[in-house]
Amino acid sequence: MDITRSGHEPVFCTIVPPHLLDRLSQAENQAVAGAARRTLVQDEANRARRLTTAAGTTRPTIAGTAEEKPNRTIHDAENGTELPGTKVRSEGEEPGQDATVNRAYAGLGATFELFLKSFKRNSIDGNGLPLIATVHYDQNYGNAFWDGNQMVFGDGDGEVFLDFTIPVDVMAHELTHGVTQYTANLTYSGQSGALNESVSDVFGSLVKQYTLGQTADQADWLIGAGLLHENVQGVALRSMKEPGTAYDDDVLGKDPQPGHMDDYVDTEQDNGGVHINSGIPNRAFYLLATRLGGNAWERAGQIWYDVLTGGDLATDCTFADFAKATVDKTAELYGEGDEHEAVLKAWSQVGVPTA
Amino acid sequence: MRIHVKRTGGFGGIERNATIDTSDLPDAEDWRALAEHAVAEGRDTPPVGVPDGFCYQITVDGHTVHCSDPRLTDDQRKLISRVLKEGS
Ligand SMILES: [Zn+2]
Repeated sequence: MDITRSGHEPVFCTIVPPHLLDRLSQAENQAVAGAARRTLVQDEANRARRLTTAAGTTRPTIAGTAEEKPNRTIHDAENGTELPGTKVRSEGEEPGQDATVNRAYAGLGATFELFLKSFKRNSIDGNGLPLIATVHYDQNYGNAFWDGNQMVFGDGDGEVFLDFTIPVDVMAHELTHGVTQYTANLTYSGQSGALNESVSDVFGSLVKQYTLGQTADQADWLIGAGLLHENVQGVALRSMKEPGTAYDDDVLGKDPQPGHMDDYVDTEQDNGGVHINSGIPNRAFYLLATRLGGNAWERAGQIWYDVLTGGDLATDCTFADFAKATVDKTAELYGEGDEHEAVLKAWSQVGVPTA
Repeated sequence: MRIHVKRTGGFGGIERNATIDTSDLPDAEDWRALAEHAVAEGRDTPPVGVPDGFCYQITVDGHTVHCSDPRLTDDQRKLISRVLKEGS
């Protein structure tokens, strides 16, 4: 391994060259290429800044211990449930005929790219952990999950959900569950579970925004856009901007997400409503990012990333604990100016106390 | 025999319910064997699931057990998918 070289290599171009994005549209290819050029310019500035903030990180990447490149393997469950299934594409191999495999490979690459370029995190564990995904899981499986070791994607149920590798934010959401497991390890129940979910949505959306080169104002802030069957009345599964408005459909029902603590849902289902109440911290992040403007993965994303990985959160932390941690981190990173005021206001607008 | 399946969680967090009454079905005996196995392999309390995995409650004649993705037994998986597909 050539450590010196790998540390300054244009990783984005290495992992997502245009010929691998064969299933994305030409427009998307151009946006990706644009994002690659921009990140190359930002790279040195970010690297310098991270050196000044790395002291607050409990699990920093130890430079040179692992090559700063993704190590992806995509498996095919062939509509069975054995994991990981048959290996169909390894790192560096050319794309094949299966669009789902190609999308998964590209999506994992895009997610790896954001974590490395923006947050100096080398993979899920910060030390080059291989990225493993299985596609075509089970029959008519309208879901995706992180099993503790790998990502799993279903083809959709043919009625409501399409292939779960279609939205890049969904793939990034699953990979982020791995990052959370290796860092704050938020217990997947109640408020800490909703925070776990929210963090996955936040970084899921940031990967999409980064890939498309969108600022906070340009982003759709949707999770799962393009995932719903055309017959479903809805635009996505969740809206970080306006929780509760993503769908309203005869079969699916209405998006149940609250955007304020006044509407917090107490339930025993879904591990205490982890996919429901995540709307509250999701909206707080959206409010912060849009108030700050510019690229959401820069300041807003940095605050969330540092809190997630900083080692100060209890695994069973509440929304208020998390909110307070973001306020403290903001003061540490940016002082008590605009950013500090923006983060206080964001949490206040969703009814989560910070003091 | 009345079999009810409730599925919660998953990436979308969308609940699904389905019930089937097997009494008048020609394959009622197959249903009964499948349901008995699935319930015997279930748990009294919800197991800790994996992030975004589905959680299931299987209720057979009033007795409820829990299981969750991806650790379903073959009989549980078969029963769940049949009830969700054929039930109402
Ligand atoms: Zn999730």
